[in-house]
Amino acid sequence: MSEKTFYQEYEVFSKRTPSSGFQHQFSLLAPNEDMAMIMAQENFMRREPVADIWVVNRKHIRGMNEEEKLTLNRLDNKEYRTAKGYGYLKKKWRKYEQQMLDEKEIMSWGGKKK
Amino acid sequence: MTNLALAATEEEKMERFMEKIEKGIKIEADDWMPEEYRTTLIKLISMHGMSEIMGALPEKEWVPKAPSLHRKLGIMAKVQDEMGHGQLLLRVAEDLLKPYGKTRGDLMQDLFTGKLKFHNVFHAETRTWGDAGLIGWLVDGAAIITQTDMLNASYGPYARALHRICAEEVFHAQHGEAIIMALAEGTDEQRAMIQDALNRWWNSLLVFFGPAAKETLGTSKQDVTIKYKIRTKTNEQLRQDFFTKYVPRILSLGLELPDKTMHYNEEKEVWVYQEPDWSELKAVARNEGARSQARLNLRRTSYQTNAWVRDALAATIS
Ligand SMILES: [Fe+2]
Ligand SMILES: [Fe+2]
Repeated sequence: MSEKTFYQEYEVFSKRTPSSGFQHQFSLLAPNEDMAMIMAQENFMRREPVADIWVVNRKHIRGMNEEEKLTLNRLDNKEYRTAKGYGYLKKKWRKYEQQMLDEKEIMSWGGKKK
Repeated sequence: MTNLALAATEEEKMERFMEKIEKGIKIEADDWMPEEYRTTLIKLISMHGMSEIMGALPEKEWVPKAPSLHRKLGIMAKVQDEMGHGQLLLRVAEDLLKPYGKTRGDLMQDLFTGKLKFHNVFHAETRTWGDAGLIGWLVDGAAIITQTDMLNASYGPYARALHRICAEEVFHAQHGEAIIMALAEGTDEQRAMIQDALNRWWNSLLVFFGPAAKETLGTSKQDVTIKYKIRTKTNEQLRQDFFTKYVPRILSLGLELPDKTMHYNEEKEVWVYQEPDWSELKAVARNEGARSQARLNLRRTSYQTNAWVRDALAATIS
């Protein structure tokens, strides 16, 4: 039957706004990329706002198998890599009558010059 | 690294699998899974997918007859959504079918031969515009009850599909309510039309959730689906939820319950109702419902008529 060979699997990614990152939506079947692009819009973008779409043939995706995924488990001893491991500084700075420059503070520095 | 895979025995795999299920870690298409889990999902999801496609047909019959342009646009959008739901779900089913070398073409053939069934509610006729409204309101309502119960299903791809589907079902429910409320606030004739629709659909709505005990029909998948955390509630719990949500709304619109004996038992906290006629389910399982053959024929014809499109597109690759 033609169905056995006709379809190819595509994964669909899209972003809601020009500044957001791409998000995986779902997969679909299509005979080629151009049809996949049309189908992606028909299947997944009937209502939501969308700024861009990617369709990727599944055969071009190298995923991880179950065993490989197991190697992603992190040991719970990486505090020296994160802000959490330095939380004690807050108390220390208090002694010098200064506030700690934490993530919330630092990330608020971006944007327009005042 | 890959030696890890070789080291795990079947029992160890099963143990790890059940551990993931218990912890609420999603199972993905490429993950190891026991045969029973795979076959249960295939049965459930391929039936769900085909039911979305066959379920678009009863309402499609009302697209040309919708009473205004606004209503026509609304019901067209809904019918298109249902076809889209079918697409999503068949994709999920196909990935599960891979080890068996089967595709949606095979599922379509199974539908035509009667091996693959579609939900009882989509075998009935839609006599009036009241039926179109009632399907959106209560048939989609019943489907929403069963589908939201599986939003956290252990199988990741199905859970994600259901999240997309249920978000659109919110529109379907409101679309149905809009039709029903317009008729309920209309003339005596219009009110009679929806009462008549409710009377005719009541049995099917109750049957939709499946029998409470497997003794009723001899088979039931509910235990397996609960064991693997695909769903959480039993058929009867879902039917009770449906009553709790919809009976007060039905009554508030001045409609009468077709089951005159129905009441809520405060003490036991259950709805007491007359057992539906389960022979309906046996008949539709053999595709002997009022519109079973007509709708299957429509599907068959369009599948055959459009075969050239599939063939023409197939020629462009390689
Ligand atoms: Fe649907
Ligand atoms: Fe729906």
